[in-house]
Amino acid sequence: MTSLLQVSNLSKSYKLNGFWFNRKSIPALEPLSFDIQAYKTLAIVGETASGKSTLAKLLVGAEKPTTGNIKLNGQMLQHGNFKQRCQHIRMIFQDSGTTLNPSLTIQQLLDEPLRLNTDLTELERNKLIQETLQKVGLLGEHMSFYPHMFSGGQKQRISLARAIILKPQVIILDEALAALDPSLRSQMINLLLDLQQQMGLAYILISHNLGIVRHFSDKMMVLCKGRVLEVGDTQQLLKNPQHKYTKKLIMNQHFKLPNN
Amino acid sequence: MNILDIRNLSIKLLTSTTPILAVDRVSLAMKEGEVRGLVGESGSGKSLLAQAIVGVLDDKWQVDADRFHWRGIDLMRLSVDERKKVISKDVAMIFQEPMACLDPTTTIGAQLEEAVDDEQLTGYFWQRKQQRKLAAANLLHKVGIKHHEVCTKSYPHQLTEALCQRVMIAMALAKRPILLIADEPTAAMESTNQNQIFRLLASLNQLKNMSILLISHDLENVTHWTNTITVMYSGQFVEAGTTQHIFNKPYHPYTRALVDSSPKANMQIPMKSRLMTLPGSIPILQHLPIGCRLGPRCPKAQKACVQAPKVKNYHGHQVSCHYSLKGSY
Ligand SMILES: Nc1ncnc2c1ncn2[C@@H]1O[C@H](COP(=O)(O)OP(=O)(O)OP(=O)(O)O)[C@@H](O)[C@H]1O
Ligand SMILES: Nc1ncnc2c1ncn2[C@@H]1O[C@H](COP(=O)(O)OP(=O)(O)O)[C@@H](O)[C@H]1O
Ligand code: SF4
Ligand SMILES: [Mg+2]
Ligand SMILES: [Mg+2]
Repeated sequence: MTSLLQVSNLSKSYKLNGFWFNRKSIPALEPLSFDIQAYKTLAIVGETASGKSTLAKLLVGAEKPTTGNIKLNGQMLQHGNFKQRCQHIRMIFQDSGTTLNPSLTIQQLLDEPLRLNTDLTELERNKLIQETLQKVGLLGEHMSFYPHMFSGGQKQRISLARAIILKPQVIILDEALAALDPSLRSQMINLLLDLQQQMGLAYILISHNLGIVRHFSDKMMVLCKGRVLEVGDTQQLLKNPQHKYTKKLIMNQHFKLPNN
Repeated sequence: MNILDIRNLSIKLLTSTTPILAVDRVSLAMKEGEVRGLVGESGSGKSLLAQAIVGVLDDKWQVDADRFHWRGIDLMRLSVDERKKVISKDVAMIFQEPMACLDPTTTIGAQLEEAVDDEQLTGYFWQRKQQRKLAAANLLHKVGIKHHEVCTKSYPHQLTEALCQRVMIAMALAKRPILLIADEPTAAMESTNQNQIFRLLASLNQLKNMSILLISHDLENVTHWTNTITVMYSGQFVEAGTTQHIFNKPYHPYTRALVDSSPKANMQIPMKSRLMTLPGSIPILQHLPIGCRLGPRCPKAQKACVQAPKVKNYHGHQVSCHYSLKGSY
């Protein structure tokens, strides 16, 4: 069976001129490879500046990789071919509140990807928007609202709605659950798991909450300063971390797995 | 003794039609040296309450309280300006969005120097500039920023969120507050940074006996750092008590749901299984249910719940529910 998403030898360094320390180039991500099947979740953990968001940006094509390539269903993804990519790989950002255009209503925000990527009529689009809003726990009447009228957690749901409305195959969640309230968060986790079951979605979950990582992911990858320290089955890795850095992460969260 | 004693504080949003009761009779008391968590979902009025305490709400909002004492002074009897003066001397607040609160056009150093209290400067006026610089550097060291030179010369947008948050804390400390109100100081930070900020706050609490009101939407996040917790929902008081009680034996169905919904507190459930959660979401201000506002989402709701419940006190563990879970333990 071929993997849904295959990443080989992917790396990124940022070229800078005169930021703080006048460094010429920052290796944000050293070459790494992995693959994901449908119905599976890969978690990526690591501290700030470990390159998690960089990896996410490379996968959605928001940045051009320095080396390496990405294959979806065996097909190479070209940088710059947004149409091909944005239908199949969607991303929910860390600070999604700020990525929503404040001058558009929710309806307009959700309509945009539909108009660009599908041939649905206006009526069908509206119906789909309503359904999607309900799927993420919002109301149809929210369509006429502007982003500033929502709380942080609700904005996150709008981002999720925007991500799933095109029925993608891979969704990247960059700390997307961090800003949510616990009760919304567990609703969202249930929702994401349901969607995974229904639509065969693969998730890449970037999160620092190991509780969620344990519950949600099949495999996990530990990043530190742009390097992969450990990859493995989530349960195994959490139970038996090999690297000092991973142990520290686990300690930091007062995190204990039950002995069974 | 309670340094802060608030009883039945209400905050109304004045609109062109009827005013909306955004915060409905919430009580809150803080002892000296206490670290209290104020927990509730987004939109439950935590920030409003905090802003009402420090008096920074604009005149769209109307604040009433049965009792509002700060260190024995009855604040409700003072004029708005006098109240602000008393509070701003002793209470500092870290706001939710650090980036938005720092002036983007001024360097961090200049902003910090401005925050330094004149009373702390002892020298002649020609020495003051230097003293201010020193004080600013000291403050940065205190919040764990070692290379203060880099930081003071930067503009806010050049720093990461976590660094900005530290700078905000440093500014709050410049006043040497008795009470620090920290509104979601670590939202959206990674765990290592979160822990650093929490540890910093904990050490300030221990060394300076500074009381801290720690606002968070995430119950599991604050349990390690607080002595007591107050829970709010949709502008109403839910439950207050020691952290132990709240986390291990919550009396209120809402708190119970918060604890049950946390994947970290529920390690024994199989992976990818459904997490327990309340249906629906928090009501918007324009459509608040009458009586207990949890009613439409509450698994235990009955007819009586259309009347707002009274707060019951069991040995300092207060709960506001007609059908509390006290009997179930
Ligand atoms: N300027 C405003 N105008 C109108 N409504 C407002 C305003 N500020 C807040 N509200 C409303 O008041 C209620 C409480 O808001 P508040 O900011 O106190 O919530 P919070 O508990 O701090 O939430 P969060 O965890 O998202 O910060 C919400 O329903 C919110 O929509
Ligand atoms: N647009 C950019 N320009 C320059 N450097 C960047 C940019 N984005 C990220 N970096 C750098 O790359 C490194 C990894 O960042 P990031 O992937 O955002 O980390 P994480 O998401 O794990 O916190 C950091 O050192 C960061 O400063
Ligand atoms: S008063 Fe009624 S609706 Fe409110 S929490 Fe208690 S049981 Fe639920
Ligand atoms: Mg990131
Ligand atoms: Mg708030």
